[in-house]
Amino acid sequence: MKDQKIVDHLFRHHYGKMVAILTRFFGLAHIETIEDAVQDTFIKATLQWRKQLPDNPEAWLTRVAKNRTIDLLRSIKAEKKRIEKISNGPSSIPLNELFLDHEIADSQLRMIFVACHPSLKPPEQIAFALKTISGFSTPEIAAALLTKEETISKRLQRARKTIVKNEIEFDFPSPANLQNRLNRVMEVVYLTFNEGFHSTNTDTLIREDLCGEAIRLCKLLIRKEEFRSGSLYALFALLCFHAARLKSKTNQDNEIVDIREQDRSQWHLPLIEIANRAMYKAGTYEDISIYHYEAAIACEHIKAKTFEETNWTNILKWYSKLYERQPTPFTLLNIAIVYLQMNELPAAKRLLEELESAHLGQRQYLYFGSLAEYHLKFDDRTMAKTYFEQAIATTSNGLEKRYLEKKLMQLS
Amino acid sequence: MKDFMMIFIGADYQELGLSPEQMQQRMGKWFGWNDKMTEMGIVKAGDALVPEVKRVSGPDRTVTDGPFADSKELIGGYYIVKAENADAVVQIAQDYPDYDLGGTVEIREVMVFDQ
Repeated sequence: MKDQKIVDHLFRHHYGKMVAILTRFFGLAHIETIEDAVQDTFIKATLQWRKQLPDNPEAWLTRVAKNRTIDLLRSIKAEKKRIEKISNGPSSIPLNELFLDHEIADSQLRMIFVACHPSLKPPEQIAFALKTISGFSTPEIAAALLTKEETISKRLQRARKTIVKNEIEFDFPSPANLQNRLNRVMEVVYLTFNEGFHSTNTDTLIREDLCGEAIRLCKLLIRKEEFRSGSLYALFALLCFHAARLKSKTNQDNEIVDIREQDRSQWHLPLIEIANRAMYKAGTYEDISIYHYEAAIACEHIKAKTFEETNWTNILKWYSKLYERQPTPFTLLNIAIVYLQMNELPAAKRLLEELESAHLGQRQYLYFGSLAEYHLKFDDRTMAKTYFEQAIATTSNGLEKRYLEKKLMQLS
Repeated sequence: MKDFMMIFIGADYQELGLSPEQMQQRMGKWFGWNDKMTEMGIVKAGDALVPEVKRVSGPDRTVTDGPFADSKELIGGYYIVKAENADAVVQIAQDYPDYDLGGTVEIREVMVFDQ
């Protein structure tokens, strides 16, 4: 067993797979029992595998989970009739077949649609998806989303309750609803990724896990032909472009590294290549989404060999298109930042004046930071200082705070 | 060389509600430790124990089923290793993976019947 190694995240990924398969078999009403049963499988594995690893760990887990299913079948006697009905019904698949690769993927996709069901509130959707599909524990989700454990527990409870109460089916949406529901699924994937990419959580591993999960879900969606669209490929491209430079976003001391100073040779080439191919694929469909423009912007940053070579004119173009589609204050702020980079100071000033910091919510600090940068262009250190201080005061994020404080220190 | 038993007390994964990822990491540490001891050629036996408990006690041989309130003292497993003395086993026990979860290693020498 010495040279054997267990695949990274095997347990976590397997959790999602097993929960999905068993849910497909037993129904969503039993999701809590199912999650406990799957958890038991891992406890058993951690105890049994100490001395000897099975030849094929994944197959072992599957087998034990399957046996556990049969135990469950026996223990939920009251449900026996119902289960017999399900397993003999015309739409049912024999239990054994549910463990085939394509059926596992199918079950997981169904679970994604359940997680993103419109009757769940957005924060519940993300928490439920991370728990049920991605196999994160409540404390891990809380750490990832910088939220209290108690809040996450409540969200999970509410989500489960809503699913049972509304008798949500473990199935794909009807063709008429599919695009709508897919849009929400993509949004949840996008938000999950952003939590990892932008949160600057102090724990690097958590950031990587969240981004990795979002990419895995996106891949899973792409596997199914009827789900493919320009938007889905563009989203996938966007995530891969971003993920390619995830590691260079922070240094060894876990400090933020500005894109200006990032070591571009560290950007992960294979991911960039995957992103490029996905971008190309996105162009073969007719639909256009915000993901297209965001991916295009990310691509411009990746393409530039040095920060100085960044094509700001193109980036401005993509941001303007994005703003037409999604006129948010945050996009406007980004446009202002691009103008600052281009030294188009009057244009930057006009936009910054137009913006109201209160509308930017948690990103207020970026607004004040941009104002500081604006004043620095005129070498007005006093004003810059005031705005940096305001930026520091409006961020609760430790990493951002340290980054801004460093900038402030460089001024004096 | 004498035989010693290392008894692992507490740190019940089930009760602690470890996540799948954490369990996998724990398991990696157990592998590492087991490998190290195997390489040293000191392992005589060792197993993990299932947490379900049945106790028989008293003159009436009263049988009680767990779980018991004192689950923090539940024995989760053991190893029997060969070593020079108890201090050497203390050194071996440094790599027990679950101290941070409140786990304890109890070291006991296996008694040999004097000829």
